[in-house]
This record gives sequence, C-alpha cells and structure tokens, in this order.
Amino acid sequence: MAEMTQQEYEQNKKDVYKTTGILAVVTVVEVLGSIVYENMVEDLRWPLMVFVTLASVIKAYWIMAIFMHVGHEKKGFILTILFPFVFLVWAIIAFSADGAAWLEMRNALNGILF
Amino acid sequence: MHEWESLKGPFNASYGKVMMWYFLISDTFVFAAFLVAYAAARTSNAETWPLASEVFNTVPGLSGHGYPLVFVSFMTFVLIISSVTMVRAVQEGFMMNRVGVMKYLIPTIAMGLVFLGCQYLEWTHLIHEGMTMWHTPFSAIEGTEGPQQFGMFFFTITGFHGMHVITGVILNIWLLLETAKGRFDKLGSYAMVEKIGLFWHFVDLVWVYVFLGYYLL
Repeated sequence: MAEMTQQEYEQNKKDVYKTTGILAVVTVVEVLGSIVYENMVEDLRWPLMVFVTLASVIKAYWIMAIFMHVGHEKKGFILTILFPFVFLVWAIIAFSADGAAWLEMRNALNGILF
Repeated sequence: MHEWESLKGPFNASYGKVMMWYFLISDTFVFAAFLVAYAAARTSNAETWPLASEVFNTVPGLSGHGYPLVFVSFMTFVLIISSVTMVRAVQEGFMMNRVGVMKYLIPTIAMGLVFLGCQYLEWTHLIHEGMTMWHTPFSAIEGTEGPQQFGMFFFTITGFHGMHVITGVILNIWLLLETAKGRFDKLGSYAMVEKIGLFWHFVDLVWVYVFLGYYLL
C-alpha cells in the first residue's frame, strides 16, 4: 500500500473513526461488566468472564484489522501473522489447568501434613 | 536496505515491514508467556487472589476508595486515542503530507507520556499501600496475606508493558524530528511512519490483554 488515492484516503479515515467508536463502546461495556461481575455471587461469574474475554478479542480484531491494516495485506502474509497464535490457545488451556492442579495438590498436602 | 526495499516479494510488502511484523509476533510470545504464567499462578491461588475492583479503586487527587477501575479505564482510553492519532499520522504519510504527519505525531507522543505518568502515579500509590514484588497486602479473604505472586506479576507485566511504551515514545520522538527535517520527503517514502506505527499499535494491543487479565477478570 505505497500509494493511496484521495478516495481510499477518505474511506480509510472513516474506518479509523468507526473503529475508535467501537473500541470506546466495547471498553466501557467491559468495565461496567467487570464491576458487576466482581460483585456477583461465585456461581454466576463465568458468563461474564466469557463475555469480557470475547469483548477483548473483538477489540484486538479491530485494532489489527484497521489500525494495523492487516485487512489490506496479502492473504499469505496475514496467515503467517495469525497462525502462530494457534499455539497460544493450547498454552492458555494447559497452564490454567496446571494452576488448578497445583492448588488441588497444595490443599491435599495441607490436609495430610497439618 | 535499498535493494530489499525494491523487492516486494510474494507479500507485496517491504522487507522492513515484514520484519517488524515478525518481531511483533515474537514479542507477543514474550507477553503471552508472562500472561499465561500469571493465569497459572492465579488459578493456583484462587482462594486468596484479590479482587481487581478492591485493589484498583482510587483516583489520584480524589480521596477515598470508591472508584473501582476508573483510573485504569482513563489510562486505557489515553492509549486508544493515541493509537488513533498514530494511524492518522500513518495515513498522512501515505499522502506524503509532512505537516499532517507532524500534526498527528505530537499528540501521540503527548498521550504516550500521559500514560507513563499515570502508570507512575498508580505504581507509587500501590507501593505506598505496601505492595511490592514480594508482598501483597490485598487478599480476597479478610484478614489474611494476599498471594505474593499478585504483586510480582503486576510489577513485571505492567513494567514490561511500560518499557514498551517508553520505547515507542522514544521512537516517535525520533520520527517527529526526522519528519521535521524532511528526511522522508527526500527518501520519497513515509514507510518508516508505518513501521513505527505498527509497533505503537502493538503496545495498545498488548494493553487490551494486560487490562483484561489484571483489571477486568
């Protein structure tokens, strides 16, 4: 994208301001959601947890697509950028499970020793 | 470098831009390692892990503790708006508009500095409350010590992010000076604005996840 026509320029400008609006609204909703969530009873927390996580993914999508204009790149380039993140999905699942296992192990040990 | 710039390759992007992206991917993995370790430490201390709305509930200049997440939301907005002015500078660069690039780089730098100032205030406040790398005075269970990992991960992760903001501000100041000198007009390309712009947006992108992990969840 070395050269930009006047028309493309105007369009890109519009996209940027639209993205700004989306990011602002999503952030406000996230913060309100989080404050509500932290004041909820334990069992009702997970839907809001899923909600703020999805909201952050939406924010990341708009920042990458419009601000970093990944949407304008060649398909092969986009794939080399996005593919490595697949590994992170597993890392998050595995390490969260590991943390839960440490907690269980510590509690079990405390039961035996103390 | 000039040979590379003329070779667009299958990605139809300059060498510098492709390498900036690959650097950002590797940097993503550093941040991801921090955040994933944080997730493991947090789940293994689930009972005592303090609630964000009870730790981050003050605003500098206002007394009392009744403002959950207000100050950090302000910081988040500062970063989002600085990202907007940065992308506008990149667009003005594509139009070869030197004055336009400078007009949008100046508020970007200013907001980067505001963010760092806010982080300084937040850190000093928490340190005054007694939080260090090895000690957390906050806990979800009344009257107990908080998990020490809370403070450790907080200062490590937000510190590492702040270091990126400092780097971005320095790069942007350099960019502003070189633009003012007319270097990119002489080169015939404002591609450098785009590359540094990518780094700056990355800082904003990482903050989305730091904000999610530490303040929202």
